[in-house]
Amino acid sequence: MKAVFNFLSQPQISFTMTIILFIVAIQKMEFFASKKFGWILLFGTLAFFGWGMTDSVFFGTMSWPDNIPIGILIAIVLWSTWFSLHKGVENDKRIAAGEPPLEGTPENREKVWAWPNLVYTELFAIIACTIFLVAWAIIFKAPLEEPANPTWAPNPAKAPWYFLGLQEMLVYFDPWMAGVVLPVLIIVGLVAIPYLDINPKGNGYYTFRERKFAISSFLFGWLVLWIFLIIVGTFLRGPNWTFYGPFEFWDHHKVVAENNINLSEIFWIKLFNTGLPKNIFLREIAGILLSVGYLFGSIPLITKFWGKRYLEGMGKVRYYLMIILMLTMFSLPIKMYLRWLINLKYIIFMPEFELNI
Amino acid sequence: MKKNEPGMAYNTKTLNKVFAVLSVVFLFVVIWMVLDDFIRPWKAVQIQSLEVKKKVLAEKIASMEKGIDGDKLRATKKEIEQAKIALKEKEDIIEKLNEELEEASKKVYVKNMNKGIVSSQKNATQFNYEHALDVYGPKATKTKKYKSKLDLYNNQFIEVSDELKALQSNEKEIIAKIKEAKKALTESEKELDQLVGAKDRLVGALDRTKKDPVWLLRNAPFLDFLDPTIKITQIVSDKVNDDRYFQHVPSVSRCTTCHVFIDQKGYEDQPQPFKTHPKIDTLAIGLNSAHPMKEFGCVSCHQGEGHRVNDFNSVAHIPQNEEQKHEWMKKYHWHEPHKIPKPMYRLQDTEAACIKCHKDEVRIPMAAKANEGRKLIETYGCYGCHKIDGIAGWEKLDKPGPNLQKIKAKVSKNWIKNWIWSPHSFNPKSKMPAFFGQVNNSKPEFMKKNAAEVNAMGEYLYAKSRESKPILKYAGGNKERGKELISKVGCVGCHMVEGLDEQWNLPQNRKGTYLTGTGSKVDPDWLVSWLKKPSHYDATSVMPSFRLTDKDANDMAAYLLSLKNKKFEQLEFQDLNRDVRDELLVEYFSQFETIAAAQKKLATLKDHERTMELGRRSINKYGCGSCHHIDGFKDAVKIGPELTKVGSKPVEQFGFGHQKVEHARHAWIEAHLVEPARWDIGVPKPFKDLNKMPNFYLTETESKKITTYLLGLVDDKVPAQGMHKLTANKKLAEKGKEVVLKYNCQGCHKIDGWGGYIQAAYEDDLNQGPPWLVSEGHRVQSDWLYKFLREVHPIRNYLKVRMPSFNFSNEELNSLVAYFQADAEQGHFEEPIELVEWKPGEKAAAKKLWDELACTSCHTEGFNNETPQAPNLHFAKKRLRKSWIHKWLSNPMAIQEYTVMPDFWEGGKTSALDGVLGNDPKAQMEAITKLILEFSYDRSPVPFKADGQVKNAL
Repeated sequence: MKAVFNFLSQPQISFTMTIILFIVAIQKMEFFASKKFGWILLFGTLAFFGWGMTDSVFFGTMSWPDNIPIGILIAIVLWSTWFSLHKGVENDKRIAAGEPPLEGTPENREKVWAWPNLVYTELFAIIACTIFLVAWAIIFKAPLEEPANPTWAPNPAKAPWYFLGLQEMLVYFDPWMAGVVLPVLIIVGLVAIPYLDINPKGNGYYTFRERKFAISSFLFGWLVLWIFLIIVGTFLRGPNWTFYGPFEFWDHHKVVAENNINLSEIFWIKLFNTGLPKNIFLREIAGILLSVGYLFGSIPLITKFWGKRYLEGMGKVRYYLMIILMLTMFSLPIKMYLRWLINLKYIIFMPEFELNI
Repeated sequence: MKKNEPGMAYNTKTLNKVFAVLSVVFLFVVIWMVLDDFIRPWKAVQIQSLEVKKKVLAEKIASMEKGIDGDKLRATKKEIEQAKIALKEKEDIIEKLNEELEEASKKVYVKNMNKGIVSSQKNATQFNYEHALDVYGPKATKTKKYKSKLDLYNNQFIEVSDELKALQSNEKEIIAKIKEAKKALTESEKELDQLVGAKDRLVGALDRTKKDPVWLLRNAPFLDFLDPTIKITQIVSDKVNDDRYFQHVPSVSRCTTCHVFIDQKGYEDQPQPFKTHPKIDTLAIGLNSAHPMKEFGCVSCHQGEGHRVNDFNSVAHIPQNEEQKHEWMKKYHWHEPHKIPKPMYRLQDTEAACIKCHKDEVRIPMAAKANEGRKLIETYGCYGCHKIDGIAGWEKLDKPGPNLQKIKAKVSKNWIKNWIWSPHSFNPKSKMPAFFGQVNNSKPEFMKKNAAEVNAMGEYLYAKSRESKPILKYAGGNKERGKELISKVGCVGCHMVEGLDEQWNLPQNRKGTYLTGTGSKVDPDWLVSWLKKPSHYDATSVMPSFRLTDKDANDMAAYLLSLKNKKFEQLEFQDLNRDVRDELLVEYFSQFETIAAAQKKLATLKDHERTMELGRRSINKYGCGSCHHIDGFKDAVKIGPELTKVGSKPVEQFGFGHQKVEHARHAWIEAHLVEPARWDIGVPKPFKDLNKMPNFYLTETESKKITTYLLGLVDDKVPAQGMHKLTANKKLAEKGKEVVLKYNCQGCHKIDGWGGYIQAAYEDDLNQGPPWLVSEGHRVQSDWLYKFLREVHPIRNYLKVRMPSFNFSNEELNSLVAYFQADAEQGHFEEPIELVEWKPGEKAAAKKLWDELACTSCHTEGFNNETPQAPNLHFAKKRLRKSWIHKWLSNPMAIQEYTVMPDFWEGGKTSALDGVLGNDPKAQMEAITKLILEFSYDRSPVPFKADGQVKNAL
């Protein structure tokens, strides 16, 4: 059983399963947002962790003071996602039946005093949080280590937990991309959302159907590309950043075969059986064409088969900005799959310009 | 559902309740936080220590009370009572005197104040006056005004001082009167104090261990920052640094926080952590010990995280054995320390810590185990393959194995091959380790390859061997006489020999090889020639000549040749498997070339060339050249990993393979030394990558000793003030000790307490063994020592054991002489032995002493024909220092505890002969010394001839 879980949690398999699950969930949201599924989710998760904790390796990883926030994060993310979707689906049903959403009923629109209704309860929250943090700090001591030794780095050397998604991206991307370009685009994209999204629906109430595209694409980026990667980076990456299953002992000597090659090498050497051209642009021509084609050439195709509706609704500038942001976001899973399928290292490999994509 | 008030989402009462609950919980959490911060394991230990202290103090007080003379105490108390009664009669007078004293003291106080005021005014005016004098001149009004003022104050000051003196003497008088009145009482009280004062002070100390309300207050939470009694104590030592990677900081030891009584005697029997340091007076902690606690702290020797006091584990305590480990796991939840570069040494490894500061010493005082570890490393020649830098003496040591440059003359080719294949089946005490037949290379396919390598190496050594003609032919001899010679002449100072009486086989003496099966090994002519003159066969050998006659050599050879190893003799090493040889060569050649090219290269080589090539490469592979002189391998690199810093190597960098060995430096090294190939078990390695560290078949004790030493080879940067600095003389001495080490002088001689392993054979009569060298540089003249070491001459003709003739270089000779001279703090020049000048009557007295003390009954030579039992005194003048003769006469046992020389003057204090020279021991000794110097010759004895003809041969 543990071996099955170890096998299933390999990035390529678990990532694929997560994507499939995500798509199914979006399609069958009525079921996934139902109370029934909520209970299944709760007991399923509890059962899995309860059973997992009987394993010393699993227990060790989960209860490591560094990793406890991730456990809390999993619980909170699962609950809040399910809760908001549940509310959204409820409202969708009401809207379909011609009723206003729950938040729009007259008794829910009544106004109340900020004091004590808001300020007092905020004070409660502050006290409760302080209690929680103090207790946490006492029970789980800060995992401080000995003074930093430049000749004796910890292995694995892990970033703070909230950066572990980014660190996981480093497996697939050049540091320049994973560490600078993509994070900047994530922030830019998040900032841009209010300007791109001009759908007035869902304002002040939960809904899913009315904002299906927006919610789905956000949740894909958030759950699949961020939370999932943090979980992988926290629990499933051990010494040498090698993958370890949740029940697998972190053996420092584990060896995995990883020989990655660049697209230029596949193109020129494997395909054309010649050496690499001296001219770097010629050498990387396949990658450049592919990248440019992906980012710009694909836009008309997308528009033709899928985006017309949005182009009309949003206007050109918003639409193209959105498409480019979306394409950038999807470049992450695409690169991941390319790595898994054909051991691809870089699509464009130009260390001369520090441009490795 | 109850409707809320308008404008309210919640019920206010409910909100208040929630707030109340949260506040209470918050309060508890805050209290919890404070307590969590306040309650520390070390505090419990310190509180417990108070109880321990109470117990120990109470015991001490009880034992002191027993020691007090009860009668005397009662008498003294009675005296006090009587004195008090007597005093009561004088009560009125004393009362009056006390009043007077009070009055007088008051006056003195007031006068003293007045004097201070006048004095300050006087000084200020003096300054103004001097200033005015300087600026305005003596005639200015200002100056004059100050002058008159100053005169006034001066007069006042004199007056006041005088009055004060009068008052003070009055006060003194009154005090004296009171004292006189109370005299009887004071004296009795003093007596009482002498009787019980020490005890009372202990009672006071016991009182201070009480946990009264003040104590509670001082140690209460929130208040304990003011002046707590329960607190962390620490010693910061700049002798050893803590490496904080970007910064080296003085080491911090907070160990005394729990080990409260480590520096206090009287707690020797307490359980840890309350024990007194076991070596408090000699080695460490004590103020007069070699390493006082206040200067060195704790971690400088014990290592560990001395600044941590969180709990038992944070310090990185390391248990000394499994038993203690389990005990600690139960008691302290002990676990292996994580990520700690320098955990504490196990108790038995603590001596490792000596090495980092005592690098310049060949032997470290008080570090018996580390010294033994070092000796084993020298015995087995670890330094041959492993570079170990910075250890005094190891650059001087020659290669540990025998010279193979002329091996052809010594042993047969077949013997070599069998020997290489398995040295221990020929010689179970072999120092040559076993490379083959180990746990990692015993598979048939590996054995086949190994056999080819051994074959090739044997062929190579034989083919490259130079010629060596023996200087003697073996002519047969008397085996029994040879055996006795071997026992008694001194061979056993370095060698163990099969078949000798147990008395002569000393397991400590392993400088030379264990001589067993010699008859099945060497060429007889080679053996006699070697015994006769080792330098003929090998000029680099440290084996000395014993100046044997041809007969001696033949007899000894006869015995050695009678030692046979029949089983080994019959072994016929398998023929060279040419296919395997070629296969191995191709593997070598194809390291940087394709297999086809390698095969082509192989084809160009003839059969013999191929064997030679494999032989050469195999010798390189196994590092034979690290331990043996082999032509063509002069500059062979050391094949083992460097061990200079092995004691600091991170545990993660040790390969534990699949072995169930505790993950700790000491555990790995110990396991490795006992079975070096173990790490290959279960690892599918190709032939060429197999672990090559050979098996020395060390015992566990040996491996533990070596481990202790290796653990001390650390990369700590010890600051200059922490390094043990040697004086100029000691430095010279250490240099000399390196030569001693090379030639194993300490195998026979006990040099100032070091070595003398052969002495065990002379337990019955140490006088018959090699003499101890105690402060030898003071005993003998440097010039004589130099000449003697170069050309040995007879001293103690009554000894069977011989001082051999070594092949010292001039530099080594000088170094040795300088060693003894410097170590005994003797100057470069001799004290001049002047012409003997007699005082009137002194010579007659000397002769009388000489006869009376019967010196010639032992120092017979030149006086009578009795068998001598002591050196010939006719050669004393050139050999001994005069001041040493004095020292020797005054107390011979203090120099050589085993000597038969009587202590005529009983420690130099009493007279040897009544009535001679005014019973003055010094004068008597001086007279005897003069007499000896007078009849002494102006030369040393004639040196032995190289080929023996020694008088004392059996």
